[in-house]
Amino acid sequence: MSKRVYSIISKVMDIPISEINDESSPETIESWDSFNSYVLLDELETEFKTEFSIDEVVETKNVADIKKYLKKHGIELND
Amino acid sequence: MSNNEKLSYFLNKAKKLGSNNFNNKIRVAVLSSFTINGLEESLRVKLYEKKVDCTTYVGGYNQFNQEILDSSSKLYKFSPDITFLILDTRSILGKLFYQPYSVSSSERKKIFDEKFEDLKNLIHSFTNQTQSKLIVTNFNIPSYSPYGIFETKVVDGFHNSIKKLNENLTNEFLKNDSVYIFDFNSFVNQYGEKNIFDTKQFLFGDIKISLDYISNLADEFTGYVFAVLGLTKRCIVLDLDNTLWGGIVGEDGYDGIKLGADPQGNSFIEFQKYLLSLNQRGILLAINSKNNPDDALDVITNHPDMILRKEHFACMKINWNDKVSNMIDIAKELNFGLDYLVYFDDDPVNRDFMRSSLPDVFTVELSNDPSQYTTIIKNMKEFNSLKITDEDAKRGQMYAQQKNRQEFERSVTNLDEFLKNLKLKVIIKDADKFSIPRISQLTLKTNQFNLTTKRYQEEDIKNFVEDKNIEIGYAQVEDKFGDNGITSVFILNKRNPKEWHLDTFLLSCRIMGRQIEKCIMQHIISKAKDNGVTTIKANYLPTKKNKPIEDFLPDCGFQKNEDGWIIDVNNKFKSPDFIEVIDE
Repeated sequence: MSKRVYSIISKVMDIPISEINDESSPETIESWDSFNSYVLLDELETEFKTEFSIDEVVETKNVADIKKYLKKHGIELND
Repeated sequence: MSNNEKLSYFLNKAKKLGSNNFNNKIRVAVLSSFTINGLEESLRVKLYEKKVDCTTYVGGYNQFNQEILDSSSKLYKFSPDITFLILDTRSILGKLFYQPYSVSSSERKKIFDEKFEDLKNLIHSFTNQTQSKLIVTNFNIPSYSPYGIFETKVVDGFHNSIKKLNENLTNEFLKNDSVYIFDFNSFVNQYGEKNIFDTKQFLFGDIKISLDYISNLADEFTGYVFAVLGLTKRCIVLDLDNTLWGGIVGEDGYDGIKLGADPQGNSFIEFQKYLLSLNQRGILLAINSKNNPDDALDVITNHPDMILRKEHFACMKINWNDKVSNMIDIAKELNFGLDYLVYFDDDPVNRDFMRSSLPDVFTVELSNDPSQYTTIIKNMKEFNSLKITDEDAKRGQMYAQQKNRQEFERSVTNLDEFLKNLKLKVIIKDADKFSIPRISQLTLKTNQFNLTTKRYQEEDIKNFVEDKNIEIGYAQVEDKFGDNGITSVFILNKRNPKEWHLDTFLLSCRIMGRQIEKCIMQHIISKAKDNGVTTIKANYLPTKKNKPIEDFLPDCGFQKNEDGWIIDVNNKFKSPDFIEVIDE
């Protein structure tokens, strides 16, 4: 599930989709540095045509948080 | 609109570029007053795609002052060919950016004057320490002002002060060949302030050019790299049907094609207008079209809405031959390498055929919507040139004369007779301050009839002119069809009074094949003789492109020895008698 989110993370972090799960975070993915976290959020915003608030950006600690905020923005992640 | 590829594409691709054996190499340094991650990656990827090997150095965060002032800094150790200094209004103005009206008008003026002086001195300090070109971004004028609608009522107000700072920068370096001002303010205008500046990204990471537009900035910067490397494209080769006009003239007829009068027809007129403006600055135009020549020429000559006419095309191939052979013929006729040509064709099959057969030709990916043609041509960075001289502006006209020459050549069957009838006149002069830009340009651009292919920037030529051990001469060539302009350069090193060394000898492709080179060589030899010199030494440094000059030295009587070619100035040397040589 959540293939669209995972595939963007895979593309930005340059790692295989199989290495990504909801617990993935800067602690578990080496290429997830602070700059790449801006890149990731920017590319998620483009892909899902939405914008994260500054609170959401600060609070995002892992993939589960990203999915939580996308759902909050009314985005269905049932792929 | 931003580039199609997102920044992560460039970031990750940059890591995987690997080694290459590209002939074109460039060292690029990037200095900035804010976070600009992703720029050097985008630049390297984009240049790699154009077969340019780019090595980069990125200065520390906001360390540009120290790096420029410290002569032993990593920046200078890196020894860049091009350095980009990217500054932003916010960092430079500091508090004044937010509170421009916290000070009086005269104080504001004083602060802006000081900012200009600081920056000017910084830039001069850079140019004193390195040969690198320096590209400095100018300052974006924000749309916001605390004065609101009153902003345009204030002398030396916030916005006007930035505008003046930009003007001062431009004027200060107008005649400086090492420093170019990149119009960053226009870049922001092009994409829009609210797209370029993303408040959230700024607050999080001091990112002042939003991530989606970093690669667009890299695109702009590639234009400087192409120009410095001399990769400037010189000729646009155009298809006709559905490229210069809508429809197919052979089927729809003279009256049926779309040209003017309606939105579709106007798209082609708009496109032609941009092509004409490029032609007027020296980019040649040519036609490569499968068509009945009479139908096509009727439109080109007589259609009231055509912008481009016969005289704008340096070469026309309108026939039923395949387009690849036509392209090869165009390159031959213009005496250009294929890599100087850009090809526009609406038909994807033709484009594919061209790309696979002649990968050196830059085949442009054209939209199937003709209203987009102008956008595509405006976004191309391949026509950038560090210098546009008066010669360039005349080039289109010169090639039109060339077309007449070639028609004349076809009408006379004997080459000697042709050359005799051309009434060639070669005027040889010493380099002076008016000819320096053109001389440098010729050394940078000439590939075929070039003995050593040594590239010299204007500064180098200026230094040579002042050096009494070095002599730079150039030749201006005229014939009965007109003036070809400055088309040949030679540089002699006279340090050894008994043996001069020919450092550079080149001839523009425009005048190749008329034995002009022999007259110039005779001039050099007799001059050497007059100065008590016994021998002249020369070298031929072969490249992929300079085969045409391969036999020149032996043809003139030079003998090969262990370290090059040598000629005794007393050797009998016969130069063609049909050329009038004037030594000025």
